[in-house]
Amino acid sequence: MSDGKSDTGDWVYSDTVKDHFLNPRNFLMGDESKFDYDAVGLVGNPICGDQMKMYIKVKDDKIFDLRWKTYGCASAIASTSALSELAKGKTLDEALQISAKDIDNYLGNLPKHKFHCSILGHDALRDAINNYRSNKK
Amino acid sequence: MVYLDYAATSPLLDEVVVAMHRAEKELFANASALHTPGHLALNEVEDCRKLLAELINAKPEEIIFTASASEANNTVIRTFEGYKIDTSPLEHHSIIESAKIYSGDKNPKLYSYMLANNETGEFLELPKKKDGEYLHSDLTQVLGKMPINVKKLGLDYATFSAHKIGGPVGVGALYVRTDVPFKPLIIGGNQEKKRRGGTYNTVGISGFKAALEYAKKNVTWEIYDKKVRGLRDTLAKRILDEIPGSSLNTDIKKGESLPNILNASFEAAEGESIQLYLDAEGIIVSTGSACAAGDIKPSHVLMAKTGDAEVAHSSIRFSFGLSNTMEDVEKVMAVLPQIIANLQGMSTIKIRSMNE
Repeated sequence: MSDGKSDTGDWVYSDTVKDHFLNPRNFLMGDESKFDYDAVGLVGNPICGDQMKMYIKVKDDKIFDLRWKTYGCASAIASTSALSELAKGKTLDEALQISAKDIDNYLGNLPKHKFHCSILGHDALRDAINNYRSNKK
Repeated sequence: MVYLDYAATSPLLDEVVVAMHRAEKELFANASALHTPGHLALNEVEDCRKLLAELINAKPEEIIFTASASEANNTVIRTFEGYKIDTSPLEHHSIIESAKIYSGDKNPKLYSYMLANNETGEFLELPKKKDGEYLHSDLTQVLGKMPINVKKLGLDYATFSAHKIGGPVGVGALYVRTDVPFKPLIIGGNQEKKRRGGTYNTVGISGFKAALEYAKKNVTWEIYDKKVRGLRDTLAKRILDEIPGSSLNTDIKKGESLPNILNASFEAAEGESIQLYLDAEGIIVSTGSACAAGDIKPSHVLMAKTGDAEVAHSSIRFSFGLSNTMEDVEKVMAVLPQIIANLQGMSTIKIRSMNE
């Protein structure tokens, strides 16, 4: 059992990660019908410890607004929160280009062992965009 | 701060700080040296040995000091290199990992079963060994929490640690019954009757002695049984009553678990997030979630017990010590329900109790 502390400071996580974890942006609290979305994307599995859902509202081919839900650790919450900030206002094509590395850079680098397991939000976003486009056809 | 991670490590008792400070100044000499300061240091080491032996009903020469409980565990397992080694699935990694490396198919067999588990606090039934077989038990979590009698338990080996009872990190002890097999792990010194090389850690052992004296003088196992059990049970009851989707991974019935450990799971909320939101409120706990440990798999203990990864990922261990009060329980319950509600509200998983 770890206490979540490291040798490098009080938290394993950077101040930005801590901020997004303690004050997550754009998350959807409670029932998803509270947000009027055009498409939703899902990634991950609670058995593995992380699952994310992205809900997007599209206007003029841009992500006009979005919300998310996450089951996961602090970096999963922080990285999904960060992604929601990165994606807001972008065109769908631009949003499809957002990578795990972009999220990691935005957050000021997550601990290495966290990188693969907890930055999944961009896949949920891609899933949402793809669902939006196939719904439109 | 409300510290509820005593099963991980405990803060030094004031008496321990005083004893170690004195030892640093007055008992600095090498305890193996023939000169007078060396003798003074050795006396301190031997006093600690006698006291631990007395508290567990062993002979002083049956106690070996080590640098950690993990070292003590490794030493026992490696003694049986090439022999059959049967461990419970709930053992500490220092048993499980070393048994993977050293177990073989020769007889006699060694059993290694902890008396109480460190993550849930639950008691394990010790195996009934046959004649000629050997039994080791990791008693790291038990020392000071319950009276210990290694003879009555039928143990050939037992592991102890100073830092779970208010002593320093870096001091472990191994009980090795007279005339059982033993192979030193650290060789190249006459210390510990050639059973464990390395200069005696007099300062650390002095701290261990002070912690043991505290346990004996205050009969700490009675305080755990009455006062601490009350705190643990109150927290358990309030969690179940006040938090939707909560469940206990510790059987809190008397006789089923140590009185100071409570492991609980919170549906749809992940353990590391709960731990760190509590941390932000000054409440210190631990989790069996994989994420927190930098591991891929969640707690092997909770997986063995529940078979449910989600339960393991969502688990929090509250472990109490002698200095905790009912006010600490109040402080936890002042923030925990909201933390869980927030995480459940933001979660992709809906809690079952709300669907029903």
